[in-house]
Amino acid sequence: MKKQYVTMTINGREYRFSIGTGYGEVPPSETLSETLRKRLQLTGSKESCSEGACGCCTVLMDNRGVTSCMLLTCECDGKNIVTIEGLEDPVTGLDPLQQAFIDEYAFQCGYCTPGIIMAAKSLLISNPHPTEEEIKEAMSGNYCRCISQYTVLRAINRVAGNGEDHTAVMHRANDDVVDPIPVRQELFPSPFANGFDNGNTLD
Amino acid sequence: MSKMNYRDVKQPNYRHIGKYMPRKEARDIVTGKAIFLDDFNVPHQLYGKTKRSPYPHAKIVSIDTSKAEALPGVRAVITHKNMPEKWGLGLPVHRLLLEDKVFYVGDLVALIAADTVEIAEEAIDLIDVEYEQLTPVYSAEEALKEGAPELYPRFKGNHVDNGIKYFQPDGPWWQIIRGDVQKGFEEAAYVAEDKVAFDKMPCPLAPETPCCIAKFEGNNEYTIWASSQSAHILKLMGEGRIPGSNLSVKTFNVGGSYGNKQSLMTTVLSAAMLALSTKRPVKMVLTKEEQLMAYEVRLGSTITAKIGMDKEGLVTAVEGDWLVDTGAIADSVQGQVGVGLGEAQLVCAKCQNWYMDSHIAVTNKQQAGIVRGYGGQELNSCLERLMCTAMKEGNFNPLDVFKKNYIAPGDRFIWRDGRWWQSRSSLFFPEAMQGAADRFGWGEKWKGWNIPTRVEGNKAYGVGMGVIGNADINEDNTEAIVRIVPDLVGGHRASTAIIECDITESGMGTRSNACKVVAEVLNVPVEKVFITEPGTKFNPSNYGLCGSRGTITTGKAVSLAALECKKKALELGALYFKRSVDQLDTKDFNVYVRDNPQLTVPMFKLAPKELSIVGYGKHMEMFNIPSCMAVFVEVEVDLETGHTRIVKMNGGTDIGQIIDSKAVEMQLHGGFGSACVDTAIFEESILDPSTGRLLSSSLIDYKWRTFNEFPPYDAYVMESQIDSFMFKALGIGEISGAAGASAVLMAISNAIGVDVKEYPATPAVILKALGKA
Repeated sequence: MKKQYVTMTINGREYRFSIGTGYGEVPPSETLSETLRKRLQLTGSKESCSEGACGCCTVLMDNRGVTSCMLLTCECDGKNIVTIEGLEDPVTGLDPLQQAFIDEYAFQCGYCTPGIIMAAKSLLISNPHPTEEEIKEAMSGNYCRCISQYTVLRAINRVAGNGEDHTAVMHRANDDVVDPIPVRQELFPSPFANGFDNGNTLD
Repeated sequence: MSKMNYRDVKQPNYRHIGKYMPRKEARDIVTGKAIFLDDFNVPHQLYGKTKRSPYPHAKIVSIDTSKAEALPGVRAVITHKNMPEKWGLGLPVHRLLLEDKVFYVGDLVALIAADTVEIAEEAIDLIDVEYEQLTPVYSAEEALKEGAPELYPRFKGNHVDNGIKYFQPDGPWWQIIRGDVQKGFEEAAYVAEDKVAFDKMPCPLAPETPCCIAKFEGNNEYTIWASSQSAHILKLMGEGRIPGSNLSVKTFNVGGSYGNKQSLMTTVLSAAMLALSTKRPVKMVLTKEEQLMAYEVRLGSTITAKIGMDKEGLVTAVEGDWLVDTGAIADSVQGQVGVGLGEAQLVCAKCQNWYMDSHIAVTNKQQAGIVRGYGGQELNSCLERLMCTAMKEGNFNPLDVFKKNYIAPGDRFIWRDGRWWQSRSSLFFPEAMQGAADRFGWGEKWKGWNIPTRVEGNKAYGVGMGVIGNADINEDNTEAIVRIVPDLVGGHRASTAIIECDITESGMGTRSNACKVVAEVLNVPVEKVFITEPGTKFNPSNYGLCGSRGTITTGKAVSLAALECKKKALELGALYFKRSVDQLDTKDFNVYVRDNPQLTVPMFKLAPKELSIVGYGKHMEMFNIPSCMAVFVEVEVDLETGHTRIVKMNGGTDIGQIIDSKAVEMQLHGGFGSACVDTAIFEESILDPSTGRLLSSSLIDYKWRTFNEFPPYDAYVMESQIDSFMFKALGIGEISGAAGASAVLMAISNAIGVDVKEYPATPAVILKALGKA
């Protein structure tokens, strides 16, 4: 049998994989997600549903976001892959998206975050100034169950140059207080500890 | 006694508390460097897989593992016939890990350890099993009927023990019996009676599936690495199941849990048993299908009850029976029932007359387990529909009724430990409800019961609200140690503070918040405060982040530990300056004289050479500070198709004091996730009664809300400085969406003009209600 190889550029470095079932070879059934996570230790992207529904395994392939659990490595010959680990520029530092995700606290558990950032990056590469609606549509293939969607949209809108996103608002009642009373930190006294007598007894 | 005004609450000016600070691990998370369990491996590890039952209830007639065992790379195949030890499951233990019977689709039939995942998966198919099918039972109501097929000898008539010692130290508690119900109904002007079910057992569905690595260390000791939000709970439950064992549990970043990934008992025991057999570490990662079909889901809940309400809208009596479906394994369900009954009393806190019974049943469905909301959401979703019926009778505005009936300081209730408690929580919950209502526009949008806010063509709009509270937020004990570690070679800039406390990060930011709290007490930059890696072996004891307890319990333990640290530093400073402790303060690892700040000394000059300054703090369990969350929703119902869309949602709460502004906002948003609000319109586990299998066992078939479907969300947050701990905060995440489902059903009922009491109100349910199907 003729030896088969696939060559890929992953995060700027060229890799050549031998396809086959021998020791150390990439079997034809191996997914890109498995190759990245298990062979190359690029564990940033996650494999959650293994059927392309959650977007946790999203990476860039030739600047387009793809779900790496749905692609076979042997079919990725000649492709240029960028994972979350390759997004940070060694010279200029974090990608603006990554910085915006920190500034807007656009994650909670952080498990789906790498996939979400790569999906957003894919959108911004093809469309650097998407509208709010375009952003929502583009992100709708990504699963997040902690519900960081509102803050993710804030972060992406900021990078897209759309100004502040007000889909979710938190209003602090203290902002309504006219002429508030700032005091030094007090340690223990409480105005509430004893409650008030409203006639409810145990008997 | 005149009531305090919110304006008079003194709002402190903190250096760190209340402000947003990027989490310590933020950079790791956005660069993909954060390690979750599946990113981690142990040398010489094997991979575990399970063969699972295709039938909901069956006897294993024969099982042949010879072909699987012969497959190269397979290291162990364990069935009920060759289990090395008989480990039990459930609380109380009512079955073994592997039995000659299976009790739900996905129940364990065989455990396999192999060199690779692929070999283990191949081996599953090589095991031949012959089953004799038994009659299954799928609901608590059916299971508790006379003559129903009995699952376990331990549970006569499928009836699970009411209460267990762990949750109720004074003896089982499963009923609210207070006052005189008959008298209460006599005093009532309006009485409503109905049966409501919240029984589709939806899945919280964390993105990271449950997973663990188990290693047998000899001498009945195991090391367990797990995707558990609470290493302590895993240790506690695991040591109870593996007799005489000692577990060292280590955790990572957890990819979402929502209360659902705590003991992971079947998964951990499976991996541990394979590790015991093979004497090698075994990694077991559930697939998404296994998580959806065979892992823990929400309780099934059905309530038949009668509620009395007086002319003022105060609840005067509640009488009813709560049926709880815990699926095929009863594990900590009694705690959830206790909390559910407790939370019912918080919402109807003025009611003095109760007779509320509960019954827990095992059925041939996947196991119900712990989920955010913890019994409260499941009961509230039913009880508030009933309250609505009574409110409708009296034509009350629900906002007024919830404000009047919600627990205020001084009101008493029985919590899940079976003991009486008296609230000393916020005075301002009614104001928080009103504030959120005003921002929502409740006054204009509420038109009356079963009256739409407006109708535009085929689209009818309606509004609804719900209120829930939780007194679990300072449950269980916690301890912490804080050390000021002065720099060894001199220079206060290199000094650090170390928190020793067992906190796993599963998304709430509690590890960083603990650092923030300590930084505030010691008056140092947050970047100089570090917290130990989570794990049970070398950390002081912490029960873990459940029941939204993290804010108060870890907050109190670490702040008191830091305070003791600070006190010791001041005492050393007092000797140095020959002044009183009262005249001194600390800043950035210096002690200085408050009235003469140029007199300052770095702590490294004060501490004994090479040693650190150590403080200890603890929190002791109590249940007297209930939280409160009000939810308002507006829905749009298409009268032709029956499709419902949430147009907007508002939340209102008094949180005491915000620790981190963005973190608390996302805790509130979280009410859309983990099977909360959307259980009212589309989230459900769909059981095929002819096979006992789920039709919703993939992320495509199980419905979840996507990015483009999130409605505007507006939160109104008061900070009334509740007396919880040094920083006056309380936890809210547990209940942020728990009243959402009942609020949505109220809104749908108002939009279409017909009462809807079925969860979820899918298009089919709505069209049926409209008489169109």
